[in-house]
Amino acid sequence: MFAYTFRRLPIGLLTLLLISFVIYGLIRAMPGDPAAFLELHAQNVGVQLSDDQFREMQRHFGLEKHWMLAYLDWLGKTLSGDLGISLRWRLPVRDMILTALGPTLLLSVTSLALAYLLSVPLGLYASYRSGKPDERLLSTLLYVLYSFPSYVVAIFLLLIFGVELGVLPVSGMRSQGYEELSTVGRLGDLFMHMILPVTCYTYGSLAYYTRFIRSNLAEVVRQDYVRTARAKGLTEGVILVKHAFRNALVPFVTLIGLSLPALLSGSVILERIFAWPGMGRLFFEAIDGRDYPLIMGLTMAFSVVILLGTLLADLLYALVDPRITYS
Amino acid sequence: MTADSNPLLPDPASESGVGFWRDVWRRFRRDRLSSAALFFILFLALVALFAPFLIGTRPLLCKYKGTIYFPVLEYYYEGGENAVFLRDRFRGSFPENLKKKDAQSWAIWPLIYQDPYRRVEAGEWSGDPGNRASRAPSRRNLFGTDEQGRDVLARVVFGTRIALLVGFVSMGIAGAIGLAVGALAGFFGGKVDMVISRLIELMMAIPTLVLILALLSIVERPGIYHLMAVIGLTRWESIARYTRGEFLRLRDSEFVASAQALGAPWYRIMFRHILPNALAPALVTITFGIANTILIESALSFLGFGAPPPTPSWGSTLSMWREDYTAWWLAVFPGLAIFSTILAYNLIGDGFQEATDPRLRR
Repeated sequence: MFAYTFRRLPIGLLTLLLISFVIYGLIRAMPGDPAAFLELHAQNVGVQLSDDQFREMQRHFGLEKHWMLAYLDWLGKTLSGDLGISLRWRLPVRDMILTALGPTLLLSVTSLALAYLLSVPLGLYASYRSGKPDERLLSTLLYVLYSFPSYVVAIFLLLIFGVELGVLPVSGMRSQGYEELSTVGRLGDLFMHMILPVTCYTYGSLAYYTRFIRSNLAEVVRQDYVRTARAKGLTEGVILVKHAFRNALVPFVTLIGLSLPALLSGSVILERIFAWPGMGRLFFEAIDGRDYPLIMGLTMAFSVVILLGTLLADLLYALVDPRITYS
Repeated sequence: MTADSNPLLPDPASESGVGFWRDVWRRFRRDRLSSAALFFILFLALVALFAPFLIGTRPLLCKYKGTIYFPVLEYYYEGGENAVFLRDRFRGSFPENLKKKDAQSWAIWPLIYQDPYRRVEAGEWSGDPGNRASRAPSRRNLFGTDEQGRDVLARVVFGTRIALLVGFVSMGIAGAIGLAVGALAGFFGGKVDMVISRLIELMMAIPTLVLILALLSIVERPGIYHLMAVIGLTRWESIARYTRGEFLRLRDSEFVASAQALGAPWYRIMFRHILPNALAPALVTITFGIANTILIESALSFLGFGAPPPTPSWGSTLSMWREDYTAWWLAVFPGLAIFSTILAYNLIGDGFQEATDPRLRR
């Protein structure tokens, strides 16, 4: 398995290199001479860049050099951990990303775990009660939920719980006066702030996973060994959980790799709505202010997280299915 | 499908009496929900096409100084305003001006006198008090008004045009790229396939919104067409994947071998022989893709990166709710419009998948 990881890594790194190359090329497609660049920037953002800020652009992206040479320079700097300095906040991009990574992972990992934990019993239940009225209701509900865009749900939830009822905080990660709270109080405060965002992150994948488990189970229960189990006189529940589900599990774990890009994509908009101080909101603000070093750094960070997720999914795949050996 | 097939060989489609696509249509219609969804989309298409006939501030047809005009066409083609109205300084306000400047004039009006781009002023329509800003739904403004006094119903109705257009144009671009790239990879295999597969993996490793926003940040003043192009350019990878798979599967089949034996060139085999047989999974993906595209466009417009301000996109109407959290109608109506359209496309996609996938056939 470790041998596989090592073989997989170069491909991942190559992908990263390509991504960086594409985004870098796009940024460098901007006009190179200072006057034109500053004018375009001012036009797009509505704020004039100072000479100082332009010098930072020039230092980091080597605007005066040929773009191939400048790319190599940039690559060297990036590999040594220098991601440049944000044009807008005048802070090192690396530190900004590291600060924002935690809140983003907090939301996405929590929601991923919740979706996995909840979809298994729901999917099993749906297969167990297949065709019954309650199953049909559940499946229809999940289908409808799956089509509901998460940011629209976020707005509806904010309307109901934040504005009408006023029971849940509507923005940010911490209340005012967070510093004075005890440890338990802090956790409780964080929990309250997380309820709405996590709900919005989770329900879509929950619906998708449940449908996924159900349709996979439907395929598995048609197989001979399930018929054998039934012939032995085992109860339907035991057959589903002990026999069928184990085989339906295999494709299920690979979903992690597919969910992560969607979750991070969603973070751009959901973190904006909930004013959550994570990478998505930072990216949104970077785009808004055409903060090129920050855009570049965040795109790379997103890609790294996704590639790690894909790698994790591959390894889990080998873990749950002993027939697969990566050697 | 196989119009160019050898007359000596029996056409497999004619044997069973019906062609593949007619069979698919028959199966599709059996699914009531998917059929209802298809009808809903057709209804939306009609609404989109005839939006200015339902709601607008321009006469569909009017007689002014002895000539018949169609001022409604301005909604379809901006800058197409007839010179007469410019000269007589109508400035987009017809009812009053028509009467004032030509007593003999008459006009046929849309069902509802409201405008998606601007507020209806007091007295514009005889005896009408005009729109007030940020009002809850009433009999005057069925979906309420936004903070600039524009009618939300008019914006939602006109938003249909953008939603459907974005879906079709973006997925048209993505479909063309995806089919071509997937076909090349699957047909030639080897190194071509290697390069393209890596490229597809690369595209999948970047979060969609991140890539789209990064691309849009390069464009000067992004408009709705930039948005459609960028979405189209970034959403082809799953179409390419399915097409590649189908081509790999069909490449070694007998009908391809026989076409090769008859001396057909590769592009003919690719487009005339394999492509029609490989189309179904790609079309299913495209249908789901349309739903996704509408979602992305509305999300971007909501964030303020989509259509520029006066454009009545659902997302931008929804985003006005951020200015005033208590104006629930600004969130609910465009939100439900986005949701129902996406739901309908997903239902169609599912029905289509079930109708075309031979493994799901009974």
